[in-house]
Amino acid sequence: MTAPNSTAGIFPLDKPGLLQAYRTMRTIREFEERLHADFAKGDIPGFVHLYAGEEAAGTGIMMHLEDKDRIASTHRGHGHCIAKGVDTSGMMAEIYGKVSGSCRGKGGSMHIADLSKGMMGANGILGAGAPLVCGAALAAKYRGDGGVAISFVGDGASNQGTFLESLNLAAVWNLPAIFVVENNGYAESTSRDYAVAVDSFVDRAAGFGLPGVTVDGLDFFAVYEAAGEIIKRAREGGGPALLECKMIRMYGHFEGDQQTYRAKGELDDIRANKDCLKMFTQRVMEAGVISRGELDAIDREVVAEIQEASAFAKAAPLPTAADLTTDVYVNY
Amino acid sequence: MGSAIGIIANPVSARDIRRVIANATALQITDRANIVLRILSCVKACGVDHVWMMPENGGIRHHVRRGIDRAENQGQTHFPRVEHLDYKISGTVDDTLKAARLMKEKGVAAIVVLGGDGTHRAVVTACGDVPIAGVSTGTNNAFPEHREPTITGLAVGLAVTGKVPASHAYLPNKKITVRVNGHEEIALVDVAVVTERYIGARALWRTETFRELFVTFADPEVIGMSAIAGLLSPVSRLDEGGLHVRLAPEDEASIVLDTPIAPGYMRGIGIRDYAPMKPNHKYRPSIADGSIALDGEREVSFTRDDDVTIELVPNAFRTVNVSGCMQYAARHGLMRMKPDQKLKRVGGQ
Repeated sequence: MTAPNSTAGIFPLDKPGLLQAYRTMRTIREFEERLHADFAKGDIPGFVHLYAGEEAAGTGIMMHLEDKDRIASTHRGHGHCIAKGVDTSGMMAEIYGKVSGSCRGKGGSMHIADLSKGMMGANGILGAGAPLVCGAALAAKYRGDGGVAISFVGDGASNQGTFLESLNLAAVWNLPAIFVVENNGYAESTSRDYAVAVDSFVDRAAGFGLPGVTVDGLDFFAVYEAAGEIIKRAREGGGPALLECKMIRMYGHFEGDQQTYRAKGELDDIRANKDCLKMFTQRVMEAGVISRGELDAIDREVVAEIQEASAFAKAAPLPTAADLTTDVYVNY
Repeated sequence: MGSAIGIIANPVSARDIRRVIANATALQITDRANIVLRILSCVKACGVDHVWMMPENGGIRHHVRRGIDRAENQGQTHFPRVEHLDYKISGTVDDTLKAARLMKEKGVAAIVVLGGDGTHRAVVTACGDVPIAGVSTGTNNAFPEHREPTITGLAVGLAVTGKVPASHAYLPNKKITVRVNGHEEIALVDVAVVTERYIGARALWRTETFRELFVTFADPEVIGMSAIAGLLSPVSRLDEGGLHVRLAPEDEASIVLDTPIAPGYMRGIGIRDYAPMKPNHKYRPSIADGSIALDGEREVSFTRDDDVTIELVPNAFRTVNVSGCMQYAARHGLMRMKPDQKLKRVGGQ
């Protein structure tokens, strides 16, 4: 059964927008759950850091962006890539280190990039994305095309000098740069309470003269609304801002992390009561604008897409020794 | 005299989207901690020896502890004993509710609240008959009066130690009760009915979604939703009733009111009509589906299947009458020091 189409005055997105938001979040979840299972089998080289549980933040922000808008991601970048429109088969192949990957197998999980989508790259160097975003934002300002650039950092990486210098530069040059602090409470295994001296990321922004906003990063609509205002302001020349999303990761810092730093029962509580996908689903179904059947249809398509991506990645060839020296430099 | 008081300081008030759309205040954590320290020294000066504080992990606790330790290192004794309640911090409004409930159980004589309208609402939800004293550290701050927290601290100290008699020290307040299928929420200042059916970023700033407004008092000197009522027909905090305003698109409105609905954020608000809000009378929303914002934040969504009532309740809770306490103190010479006190104060800090 199909629910009615009108969401006017009820939700900030129309029905196709709501369905797209669900599809994106569901795709990220399925992608990460698949990696969680396959990594345990020893199929995947290197490390993977999963975005499961944090989908509402990346999706709520990226739904305001176009391909011309640039983002710089983190080591936990799969969700940002998918929400920015990067092909899931190319991503999966990249994570498997195959030549058909987004970066021809040379980047792996922590360096997936697709400039055609404005995805400047996940980044294994914490805090390194913020200066890149200043450059991209300066380019957008210079071109005058209304583009914005968004840097994602975790609560831990926000302590890096590169991040703080970037806040300063973005403020001084009034860049269309936005700094998103994805605060999941732990820098690897170190609690935010211990490691962040200033206590509030919004205060940190205020120190550089930027407005800062804190939202519940588990609530898609809270993120979507706040990000929309911040991005609109930046596009119009209103300058940089900081958005703190309070969120929760469902898995460890990396796959294989035993998570001994978590309280007893914390993970069960997260799955049962703090799942952003469940919260979104409940909200749109209660309002009667989307039916269970419509969501189930998306679920089936997403499962098939990720199954296909996984099969594609596994079947693809590995790079050869001759590939080692290709794509190292780029002509300008 | 050794009355204990409570302090609930919200580390996350004044953090919402109005920093971006309206250049609203972003009071830093260290400023909030300094406010707490000022209040502590003032209540101690009045004879309060023991203060319970809400635990939080937003940083206020650490900065307050640091300030007290530094004073002690210098041999100063102008802070009371400060203890934090012991429970697992959730980082949500549940912390405020739990703190207010526990402080009531511990028998505190008053609770000082640092926050905006939402924080004060949460405290009143759980504190029962314990009087509160508000300090504005939020965004719109229609409920807590604006003044230097030093004075609020002094008034609380004078009130809870009995130096100012209760007849002068406390004031009654109205509240609005909202019931959705029997589940009860409250508002201290305003209840707004809006068309949106999601809570989202909580703050109200899209005027096209506003439909109806109920207020306990209407003060033209405040901002936010209650400013609409305040600019139409002022109603004092001590008047028996409130005000009920029905809103309309500008082209259907009998009045269009230029209103500061957020700090520095002026918007035209279409008014269909307005009337006194009667106490103890059940009102129902004029729209079938929407959300209810309590003191400026969307909190509850409802549909035509839900039973929603809105009711003004007089004499619902007490606040410390800061102005009354200070006037009494001045007229009765309560702050005039004896010679031995003067020597002690000079040597003590």
